[in-house]
Amino acid sequence: MNKVKKPVLQVKNMKKHFPIKGGIIKRTKNHVRAVDGISFDVQEQETFSLVGESGCGKSTTGRSILRLTEPTDGEVYFNGEEVLGCTQKEFRKYRKDMQMIFQDPFSSLNPRMTVKSLLLEPLMTHKLYSKKEALNKVYEIAERVGLSKEQVSRHPHEFSGGQRQRISIARALIMNPKLIILDEAVSALDVSIQAQILNLLIDLQKEFKLTYVFISHDLNVVKHLSDRIGVMYLGQMMEMTTTESLFNNPLHPYTTSLLSAIPSYDRNKKKDRIVLKGDVPDPANPPSGCPFRLRCPQAHELCETHKPVYQEVEDNHWVACHLYNEGIPERKRIRL
Amino acid sequence: MSNLLEINNLSIDVKIEKSYYNIVNRLSLSIAKKQKYGIVGESGSGKSLTSVAIMNLLADSLSVSEGQILFEETQELTTLSNKEMMKIRGKDISIIFQEPMTALDPIFTIEYQISEVLKIHFNHSKKEMREMIISILKDVGIPRPESIMKSYPHELSGGMRQRVVIAMALICKPKLLIADEPTTALDVTIQAQILELMNELTEKYDTSILMITHDLGVINETCERVAVMYAGEVVEESSVDSLFSHPKHPYTQGLLKSIHTLGDRSEKLYSIPGNVPTPTQLKKHGCRFASRCPHVMDLCKEETPPYVEVSEDQVSKCWLHTERGEYNEQGQKASVASEEYEKTFSD
Ligand SMILES: Nc1ncnc2c1ncn2[C@@H]1O[C@H](COP(=O)(O)OP(=O)(O)OP(=O)(O)O)[C@@H](O)[C@H]1O
Ligand SMILES: Nc1ncnc2c1ncn2[C@@H]1O[C@H](COP(=O)(O)OP(=O)(O)O)[C@@H](O)[C@H]1O
Ligand code: SF4
Ligand code: SF4
Ligand SMILES: [Mg+2]
Ligand SMILES: [Mg+2]
Repeated sequence: MNKVKKPVLQVKNMKKHFPIKGGIIKRTKNHVRAVDGISFDVQEQETFSLVGESGCGKSTTGRSILRLTEPTDGEVYFNGEEVLGCTQKEFRKYRKDMQMIFQDPFSSLNPRMTVKSLLLEPLMTHKLYSKKEALNKVYEIAERVGLSKEQVSRHPHEFSGGQRQRISIARALIMNPKLIILDEAVSALDVSIQAQILNLLIDLQKEFKLTYVFISHDLNVVKHLSDRIGVMYLGQMMEMTTTESLFNNPLHPYTTSLLSAIPSYDRNKKKDRIVLKGDVPDPANPPSGCPFRLRCPQAHELCETHKPVYQEVEDNHWVACHLYNEGIPERKRIRL
Repeated sequence: MSNLLEINNLSIDVKIEKSYYNIVNRLSLSIAKKQKYGIVGESGSGKSLTSVAIMNLLADSLSVSEGQILFEETQELTTLSNKEMMKIRGKDISIIFQEPMTALDPIFTIEYQISEVLKIHFNHSKKEMREMIISILKDVGIPRPESIMKSYPHELSGGMRQRVVIAMALICKPKLLIADEPTTALDVTIQAQILELMNELTEKYDTSILMITHDLGVINETCERVAVMYAGEVVEESSVDSLFSHPKHPYTQGLLKSIHTLGDRSEKLYSIPGNVPTPTQLKKHGCRFASRCPHVMDLCKEETPPYVEVSEDQVSKCWLHTERGEYNEQGQKASVASEEYEKTFSD
């Protein structure tokens, strides 16, 4: 793909630690390290996806970038400007360009408002258009996402899950954003409806030159949509590379087992499955050394004592694992 | 092979404000001993209702309006009293739900809850029960069962809880295990653990499985036969092999096509247009898939399609397989549509 390489979003060593309070005087006893120092860039008109199991910090990362929750540490650059240092009030001018779409379209839409007023609201708060212009814009965007003029005067509960997600997309789109963070945007939808929404997202991206940060636990969907993918575990980035190399040449043992766990739709190809032992550890008490070591089939002594360095082991391919301290040995190239 | 469970023409109605709407329509399927059978369908297609009806646990607003559910060829489950059903539930037929907490009581220990199940059906001593519980917890892969059995559900992770629920469902060595979306609430790595575990355990205990899921991947990995449901009806019933290699019903074809184009970025993702109809939108006559079907004919909107045996181990409910459906609106021979599909599908 011939895309101009210019980062729209840069996240540098971002952390979000939630305090756990206890005792009568509610002293902070410990912290949930929801996001524990992650970094990535997202290029213009690119789809960058974050994947990982429940609780690994994907949503917190998305919310921290938009300052819906204030990150504990780190830097975020939007179009080259640092946006964590400024006040919430100053941050508002960036917010119009950065929108978010959530998993559950119902809870994120006010049930008492009609679709028309839901779409008008953000336009009117930012005072960008006259009422008439704004209305035209509403109809234009609604039509673009597949909602008729008649449907626009209805309430969200009169719509099916897929249609509600179209409303959320319209609401994000109407501000003419550059960046949209989509948190499990299609996860609650049925397969036949999921496909409609994914096609719509891909078309809109081309048409409006959008940059997506796509958060999902569904690797099949992520594979379809992404240019690059970051794999998270316990608040940290384990591996980050292009979609193609993640699926064809996964390096990190966690990525390999995650890929092998996807139920296959192929009747003829039975997989050699790597079944991981145990569960994800508690992010308030992460293990020493490598966060994955308690479940890693290839864990060794070094993994317990030293945290692996997150490094670029080949072009555009970042990994945090001691197996690659000396680069990539030939035999480590695992093919699924 | 004799059938363990046989459902004949089961219909379930729901009462909404004094009117009755049909939500499961003339569903038939049979599960052989030791067979792994799947029901797949999108949300609201009636999968859970079917499983709840087998357990004879339908809510008051719901009623079986037609049909039978035969267990071991003699017992008609829909007509049994609650007392008679109690003897079967948990012992001959067990069920696992999507959310483990629906089966677990937060205020009792794991040991207490599993022993309650045993007490209903057997007269074991305390010591015997303890040993049985430890051994089944070991079987489902719970580490340190002696101490874990003393803990409360909230002290366990989602995956561990689902293991406990499986242990509880299997402790009386049931003949049929119904698993209603048992891994939908779990992460893929935990899902893989649980599916592998279920496969192992049902082999070990000779249990038949009814696997209910919206995920064709789960069907592919666990089942031998499958029924595809759409809007309360079985639209295709088939061996899993045939379903994946030559799906016959347009809905099944659509589902598989959208899954198979997923991941292939060069191609537009195949999608089935429109939405799943809600119970109040359903018409009495005609094909329930007609509003979304790419091969729809005038006939489909007026007359309900019959079940047709389309291959030796496959039945599909569609007019295209009959003489009356030979030509569609464009005058194109309908079987051509199906061949076309298979061509795109085999590439
Ligand atoms: N407001 C909060 N207070 C305390 N802990 C929190 C808060 N929000 C999130 N966490 C914790 O931070 C960790 C990361 O949560 P997050 O919601 O980002 O995960 P996720 O990757 O989006 O998971 P999922 O796939 O389930 O949506 C979890 O352990 C979670 O319990
Ligand atoms: N207790 C109930 N009362 C009324 N309608 C119900 C009830 N349970 C389920 N339904 C309706 O029946 C249909 C099938 O539901 P269900 O079997 O739960 O679907 P699935 O498990 O396939 O997602 C849906 O339209 C649902 O809304
Ligand atoms: S650093 Fe060690 S424990 Fe961590 S993923 Fe690599 S091999 Fe496994
Ligand atoms: S009966 Fe008609 S509408 Fe229904 S699936 Fe067959 S062709 Fe399509
Ligand atoms: Mg989340
Ligand atoms: Mg259900």
